Amino acid sequence: MLIADRRSLIAGFSALLGADIVAPLARALAAEAPAGPGFEASRRVFMAEERDTLTALSDRIIPKTDTPGAIAAGVPAFIEMMMVDWYQEADRVAFMKGLDTLDGYILARHKKPFAAATPQQQDEALTAAMNRKIPGLADNFFEQCRQLVILGYYTSEIGATQERVYLPVPGRFDGSYPYASVRRIFSS
Amino acid sequence: MPSYDFDAIVIGSGVSGGWAAKELCEKGMKVLMLERGRMVEHRKDYITEGKGPWRLPYRGTLPPAEVARDHFLSKWGGADRTDRTHFFNNDRLNPFDFEGSTPFRWVRPAQVGGKSLIWSRVTLRWSQLDFDANKRDGHGSPWPITYDEIAPWYSYVEKYAGISGSRENLPHLPDSEFQPPHPMNAAEIWVKERLEKAMPDRKLIHGRCANMTEDKPEQGRSRCQRRAQCERGCSFGAYFSTQSVTLPAARKTGNLTLLSDQVVTSLEYDPATKRVTGVRTIDANTMEARVHRSRIVFLCASAMASTQILLNSKRADTGRSFADSSGVLGRYIMDHVMRTHFWGTVPDRSLDQFITYGRRPVGVYIPRFRNLNGQDADADFVRGYGMQGSAGRVPAAPVGFGAAMKDGLRQYGPWTIQFNAFAECLPYKDNTLTLHPTKTDRFGVPLIVFNVTFRDNETRMMKDAARQGEAMMRAAGLINVGSREDDHVPGDAIHEMGGACMGDDPNASVVNRWSQAHDAANLFVTDGSHMASTSCVNPSLTFMALTARAADYAVKQAQANVI
Repeated sequence: MLIADRRSLIAGFSALLGADIVAPLARALAAEAPAGPGFEASRRVFMAEERDTLTALSDRIIPKTDTPGAIAAGVPAFIEMMMVDWYQEADRVAFMKGLDTLDGYILARHKKPFAAATPQQQDEALTAAMNRKIPGLADNFFEQCRQLVILGYYTSEIGATQERVYLPVPGRFDGSYPYASVRRIFSS
Repeated sequence: MPSYDFDAIVIGSGVSGGWAAKELCEKGMKVLMLERGRMVEHRKDYITEGKGPWRLPYRGTLPPAEVARDHFLSKWGGADRTDRTHFFNNDRLNPFDFEGSTPFRWVRPAQVGGKSLIWSRVTLRWSQLDFDANKRDGHGSPWPITYDEIAPWYSYVEKYAGISGSRENLPHLPDSEFQPPHPMNAAEIWVKERLEKAMPDRKLIHGRCANMTEDKPEQGRSRCQRRAQCERGCSFGAYFSTQSVTLPAARKTGNLTLLSDQVVTSLEYDPATKRVTGVRTIDANTMEARVHRSRIVFLCASAMASTQILLNSKRADTGRSFADSSGVLGRYIMDHVMRTHFWGTVPDRSLDQFITYGRRPVGVYIPRFRNLNGQDADADFVRGYGMQGSAGRVPAAPVGFGAAMKDGLRQYGPWTIQFNAFAECLPYKDNTLTLHPTKTDRFGVPLIVFNVTFRDNETRMMKDAARQGEAMMRAAGLINVGSREDDHVPGDAIHEMGGACMGDDPNASVVNRWSQAHDAANLFVTDGSHMASTSCVNPSLTFMALTARAADYAVKQAQANVI
């Protein structure tokens, strides 16, 4: 959201409701990045190779198109935070094992790690993972990865405000709004 | 006359406590309001309001380990959402007797404003059908009041709170003093037209709620801005809460003293005068114990907590609660049954061009249609249920990955509509809340033991609602129709009621027709605990009306020196 948009929004409401409303609205619309528990991983548990694999596969799941992709949206760091601080230990271990297995699959076929493979090679590996054709890879690994990337992307500032159309204060309701006039999903 | 610190003490600051404080203050009484939770000031303390998902911890979902540790009950009210966790009880620190109780989902708030900050805001009037129910089928304590007696008080609280809805002229769901309704969306209009044509005895109407569609500048409140983030607190004051409506009004009089973090443990009672003489508190932070004195006490601590406080207010001579000469204190514990869901998909492709702009705070409602004129021949239960729902479209769910999937996620899925039924729970004398003989909480208050179960009448209604719901979806022409029943656990609807029921007979009820304790003329109990039955509609509006009515009566009695 542009700073000018923020200012005009706040000015409009303060005219209606008085100065008291400025502080909470300004706080809500503030641009500074949040920090602390639930935003940053409390410790680092991924090895560099795992982080590289996660970054590369996030990019293949949601690439840059006419809007930024998963990397620009900070999805890999989000997933690492969730693995460290949201999931239980066993889930985190299983997820890291999945990253290693996927990396090993590419390494065996192309003599290079997942992150260094070509996009075609990466997509081939992800398709094999999706179709449960990679020996030793847990059946749910691909779908878990995919859902985490989708969650991380569409709840990021880029996903919610650039890929989707962000309506923090819609102000009105239209139950028959033409999709053709936005061709996107509204986010909140 | 003894000397008092205050004219009145209001215990609790939720929907009922807020109204009690406003009315008593405006009538000139010096009021002390006691709240066990922490302070939350309007606007200033709505710490997650308006934040995008990237500015919420864990993007909005509390880690399961934290839910399991601290919010294993309050999660049923939404405490597992990080935009509102801070408004809910820590279940580990504030337990009831989990081991000795039947399953009960007691969802408690943790702050000034109580559940008024986190309620679903549906506001529906009771009708004479509801007030006649106990008398008609012989369950529970007969209501001593009529719809006509309460109707002016409904109007009074509705005009001030700001209620939106549509006039429908239904005798079993009386209209409120309405602001315009929140509009239906394209699919809801589509279903309404077809359902009402196919089944003329069914109505699909606008949801009725305490979210305004018109400004109230005189209260510094604006209409709903269609954010649908009510549970974070609303700086626009668009929905009714203690913070936005009743607390400012009470404070404006200069007559209110509000103390947060004050846990009321029991009431002090004088058997000679048959009056409550004090309210005992413990400071939740310092553990300091105090007794506050007033001429009148309004007990509005929530249905379960008010009953607990009354049970814990024992006479020195008998060792029993002073408020229990009837023997029914702690009995007739009730909650709505509501885990029957049904749904369908709109097959009309011409609606695919539409989506919704903005987000409403309420959906649509199918008013009760069962047992309206005596007993339906095909109903194996008494009383009835209503259905709350809404239609919408969620983002499409493309498979695969990459640019094609990303593009697919810019599309919407089809219009679907879903409902869940809210059914009346009968008052059963042996559905009880008692106090544990030895176990106490960190404030020394005996733990609640719940012995509350739903019975055949409730489960039959839930099954009937699923059958009827599916039939209605099909009659309206929807496809992919289905229904599901989840576990029906008391407390789940967060409409818990009973424990100190109203009635004319002091041997069979705890409070009289004025919400005044039979055993103490200066004690009024006006929250969910004093409900003698549940109706099938959401209860908060009725708590508001009964509280305002009781406050009016109490002040007149005090002015006449009767109490």
